[in-house]
Amino acid sequence: MLKINDLHISVDGTEIIKGLDLEVKAGEVHAVMGLNGAGKSTLANTIAGRDDYEVTKGSVSYFGKDLLELDPHERVGEGIFLGFQYPVEIPGVSNLNFMRTAINSVRKYNGEEAMSAAEFMKLVRSKAAALKMDPEMLKRFVNVGFSGGEKKRNEMVQMALLDPKLAILDETDSGLDIDALKIVAEGINAQRRDDTAILLITHYQRLLDYVQPDVVHVMIDGKIVKSGGKNLALELEEKGYAAVA
Amino acid sequence: MEVTSLKSYEDQVWELIGLMPGTEGLRMRALKAANEYDWPGKQDEKWRYSDIRALKNNMFEQTRPAIDAPNVPAPLSAENSARLVFINGRYSEDLSDMGDLWQAAQVRPLANHLMSNMDRADELVRGKDATACLNTALMRDGMVLSVPAGVEIDDPVEILHITINGENAGCHMRHVIELGEGASITVIERFIGDRGSYWTNSVLQARVSESAKFSHIRLQEEGADALHTAKVFANVDADANYTATNINLGGALSRLEVNVRLMTDGASATVDGVALAATEQSHDTYTQVEHLMPATTSDQLFRTIADSRGKTSFQGKVVVAKDAQKVEANQSFKALTFDKTAEANAKPELEILADDVKCSHGATVGQLDEKAIFYLTSRGIDPATARQMLVEAFTADALKAVGFEDVKQEILTRISDWMAARANKVSTEE
Repeated sequence: MLKINDLHISVDGTEIIKGLDLEVKAGEVHAVMGLNGAGKSTLANTIAGRDDYEVTKGSVSYFGKDLLELDPHERVGEGIFLGFQYPVEIPGVSNLNFMRTAINSVRKYNGEEAMSAAEFMKLVRSKAAALKMDPEMLKRFVNVGFSGGEKKRNEMVQMALLDPKLAILDETDSGLDIDALKIVAEGINAQRRDDTAILLITHYQRLLDYVQPDVVHVMIDGKIVKSGGKNLALELEEKGYAAVA
Repeated sequence: MEVTSLKSYEDQVWELIGLMPGTEGLRMRALKAANEYDWPGKQDEKWRYSDIRALKNNMFEQTRPAIDAPNVPAPLSAENSARLVFINGRYSEDLSDMGDLWQAAQVRPLANHLMSNMDRADELVRGKDATACLNTALMRDGMVLSVPAGVEIDDPVEILHITINGENAGCHMRHVIELGEGASITVIERFIGDRGSYWTNSVLQARVSESAKFSHIRLQEEGADALHTAKVFANVDADANYTATNINLGGALSRLEVNVRLMTDGASATVDGVALAATEQSHDTYTQVEHLMPATTSDQLFRTIADSRGKTSFQGKVVVAKDAQKVEANQSFKALTFDKTAEANAKPELEILADDVKCSHGATVGQLDEKAIFYLTSRGIDPATARQMLVEAFTADALKAVGFEDVKQEILTRISDWMAARANKVSTEE
């Protein structure tokens, strides 16, 4: 599904990603682990298409397409979803209007009819309920006044609505208490299917107790230095990054 | 180019005196005052953000009747109680629809008012600068709308001004709105026109008696080369309210001045506005709210957007008179600029002579939040729609006083259209 070859990314002239290779297949859950500053978020944001990251070398292909050629919204249309580490607050735009515009934008991209208001309301209510989100929060402005956990839960509702093929979740576990973590993990597991893939970006092993990865990668200084099974995460937690890499 | 002397408008004044005998004293005094004030100059703080050379250096003839048949748009609100249409500054009986308004209120053309009530001419505002005085000297038509005490007119009255074939002509409209005790009305003033280089110089004066409520929506969408100068004077009595939403979209240059006097305890005013300045366009709003008595309140909220080489300006003056205690006055101005060549000016001014008051003001100039745009696009929303959503959210606060949902939608549609036109332009340039 996703194939990254010798990727180099610079931000403001400084190279952050320094030759990264990664392949993710349908049905797989990958975890990319690393300390702050290793380049994990840069990788996630580049896949989603944020334009202040400059790809200086290498390629990213997604279902055989050159992903770097597509604008961010087109990538979403193609089935990519980025769960933000810090979801953005947007005063004046209601969560419902936001989500409905998003889902209909993706449908339009794929040549489908817009969803009616009634159909949308039914869908969003069921997704919010599954993630135990207070339906009142749907009426509020996007992420405004939400706690850290509520923001992450809101990300999961959006993911469930857009039903992506490839979900990249950037530190979705950070700032969550254990109950919220379990709910978010359930949301991620619900998205886990034979035809989807998930890339978890995290620096703690904690989330991986609830979402078992197929592959764990260790990222240090802009490169993946080691890959292995889920035990690699436990090893990292126990011995630290220096010893493992 | 040489500045046109205001005295040179005297021929036009005589022409109008000929049409409306009895107005000689009023007009000639106003012309004399205009001449004494002279055109606002660079040193004139209230006008500092508007470059009015195009006004000063030209001689604007009186508008003549339209040659072509005007394109009359549908009313903003389907619920209109009446619609008064002025073509080139002349009331058009054919295009207007009085509805039942004439039964509920007194509606008279300005000319009748001037000629039948000369004693009341002194109540007409003469103005404190050249443009307002020139309006008094040269006003030819307008409406005098008096709502009797206790009469509440629920549906809006639209006053539509259309200027066509008005190349180099000036149109000096004057409307007078009077609300008796406890009366209420909503007036939508709308200004549209063709691509001519015409000048609209409008004055609306309102008297809002005790416990009355006057809602005023001003939608300025003049032709692209027009100049629009306007003044609103509202005197608000005890427990009465003046609420205004000023939308400035059209013209090459617009300057609106809103003067509100809160005359008696409990008087309140809300003065909001949105201005969108496209490339080479300038919108300037000056407000002055005077709290003359205790326990009067005012709220002002303006949101403006300036595109490349566009300019929006806001000066808001709040005056709290001596001993006018327990006054509350809030003012918020926020501007967005789309690039470095866009200009936004903000100048709040407080003159407070009482000590027990609550006054706040805030002014910010910023850009659309790139993080928010990325967040929206990362959910599949295309960048043009994302910007539009953010702009709508940005302007929404300034439209909250618009009490009619269909009118608000019309205004929002114009804001979306403006953003869409801009997006098209940007994509052709790229």
